[in-house]
Amino acid sequence: MEGNLFQVLARNLSQFWEYTGFANFDGNWGYLLMIAIGLVFIYLAITKEWEPMLLVPIGFGIIIGNIPFFSGLSIGVYEEGSVLNILYQGVVKGWYPPLIFLGIGAMTDFSALISNPKLLLIGAAAQLGIFGAYAIALLMGFSATDAGAIGIIGGADGPTAIFLSSRLAPNLMGAIAVSAYSYMALVPVIQPPIMKLFTNKKERLIRMKPPRAVSQTEKILFPIIGFLLTALIVPSGIPLLGMLFFGNLLKESGVTRRLAETARGPLIDVITILIGLTVGASTQADKFLQVTSVLIFVLGALSFIIATTGGVLFVKFFNLFLKEGNKINPLIGNSGVSAVPDAARVSNNVGLQYDKTNYLLMHAMGPNVAGVIGSAVAAGILLAFLA
Amino acid sequence: MKRVIIKALILTVFFFAWQRSFAQSQEDMRINEILVTNTNDFEDDFGHKNGWIELFNSSYGTVNIGGCYFTNDPANLTKYIIPKGDVLTAIRPRQHVLFWADNQPFRGTFHLNFTLEESKEILFVASDGKTIIDRIKIPHEQLLENISFGRVKDGFGKTDGTEGWEILRQTSPSTNNFGVDEIPKSVIIKEIDPYGAVMSITSMSAVFVSLILLYIIFKQIGKYNIRNSQKRSDQVSVLKGRKEKVSVEDTSAEVYAAIATAMHLYQTDNEAHDIENTILTIAKVTRNYSPWSSKIYTLRETPVKNR
Repeated sequence: MEGNLFQVLARNLSQFWEYTGFANFDGNWGYLLMIAIGLVFIYLAITKEWEPMLLVPIGFGIIIGNIPFFSGLSIGVYEEGSVLNILYQGVVKGWYPPLIFLGIGAMTDFSALISNPKLLLIGAAAQLGIFGAYAIALLMGFSATDAGAIGIIGGADGPTAIFLSSRLAPNLMGAIAVSAYSYMALVPVIQPPIMKLFTNKKERLIRMKPPRAVSQTEKILFPIIGFLLTALIVPSGIPLLGMLFFGNLLKESGVTRRLAETARGPLIDVITILIGLTVGASTQADKFLQVTSVLIFVLGALSFIIATTGGVLFVKFFNLFLKEGNKINPLIGNSGVSAVPDAARVSNNVGLQYDKTNYLLMHAMGPNVAGVIGSAVAAGILLAFLA
Repeated sequence: MKRVIIKALILTVFFFAWQRSFAQSQEDMRINEILVTNTNDFEDDFGHKNGWIELFNSSYGTVNIGGCYFTNDPANLTKYIIPKGDVLTAIRPRQHVLFWADNQPFRGTFHLNFTLEESKEILFVASDGKTIIDRIKIPHEQLLENISFGRVKDGFGKTDGTEGWEILRQTSPSTNNFGVDEIPKSVIIKEIDPYGAVMSITSMSAVFVSLILLYIIFKQIGKYNIRNSQKRSDQVSVLKGRKEKVSVEDTSAEVYAAIATAMHLYQTDNEAHDIENTILTIAKVTRNYSPWSSKIYTLRETPVKNR
């Protein structure tokens, strides 16, 4: 009897051991590597304050997604019906990104852009990163759909990257999303050397004309006309553009304050938590640690470099046609990528390094928000051509 | 009264929009392919080979065809009613469904009460029993055994059968007529444009065009707005007897922001210093150190001992 009891106990303990994460590591050091990456994300978010709102959920999501488990218990993000899988559907089906865009629209002030609409063109120029990365990805042997999904990293817009990759290359979505968010967090590191490389001291000291006051009518008209125009040209961008401009109309109409506050507050916070956590959890080592993921990271870095270069060089080119006094400081060219507001903050900080009284933040916010529109339009175009 | 009229109008619009959307969903169904003589083709669930009609949902939403009609007689549009309540009659977006024209309706929802051999024309009728959604005349003389007649591209072509139909190379029951060996769009794009140059130029042009149009429109709106504001400002200047006019265009938004902030602080946060409460409170400070008298703040620089 005693012998039997010990045998049963031993068998139970042995079974329990097989259920544990330790037993299921099964020599796959990839899980440990991914957990380490998750910890690095959390470290960078807390100590360096690099995009903490994104890196903390993603970092913890990576840890959640890389605890090895006994499959079949319906707990993993890729197991149908599991809680994580249900939450992940917002990423897979692409309905988190438009909701994030709703919040972004409700918190974005387009005044800087409306007062100086030529800054819109910088937002267009910086989309060069998307198509530069697309071309390089094609050369590296990726299919056109994969290349399009990878290229969108250059738009520096996480929700757009998730939205497009869920449509064009769902198998690469985890790597693309993590890459996009990682480089967005690294904007203060990646962009300044490029900005300094392509500008001279005289250009960096350009003082821009302060923005004029913008009337409420103009602010109300902007989302309506902006949507009609962009959506009629690129209907495939409707989910993103529609939500972005709708959110902005809620903000600027002045009569839907509660809705605007919900969109830019609780709603975007909830979706940010869910999108960050589930995207992180989708990086399960066995699916994520592949050569393709490394290539995507390389291409992501290149796309950011091309986008920043495109924006800065475009401003220099544009200045050739502008009168003295109306010239644009090329240090705001980097803001054409839509990492809001980090890219604009980088413009301001680099500008202040050369002139402590030249605040570029307001000017840089123009191309920065134009970049959001530009990247959504670019995503729509890629979707129309490749889907 | 006005409100009542507005509400009635809104309700009417909603009603018609709902009606239209309902009808429109059924209207998106298309007769997509027919096989008249089936001797060596697809079998039904009973193992019989019969002629069939393929319907295609050309919309991007699920359409329930329960209650709609099939007929081969224009004088009797309600010859076969598709039973309501069968979950299988909810046709998912861009999907196909097959009806067996075997004159055996008791075999289930998808078995019609006529055959194609005896039919000159097939009509698909909406659930109102009157609206003909799609119709096709059967070219019996061209249709050999196991040869089907269908739309060249699923769902495309006219709804009276006069355009978009041809004898198909192979039957494709419940699947795309053209899509079996179709090359994906992305593959074609990569073949045509292996370096992505055309795609990049096209897409960048489209992005630029969108934003340039937005720039032009808002440049004009801005000019109009500045002109109007300047007029108002000039009127105020005249009223107040000012000699110099203020240029609205040259007045920075920062000036307005500073004024607005000051007013906000004055009105809401009680930060104004115009009225002091004139009460002096002397309270014991528990801290031993207070920075107001600190030498750090009173000396301009750290003294250096003379050598």
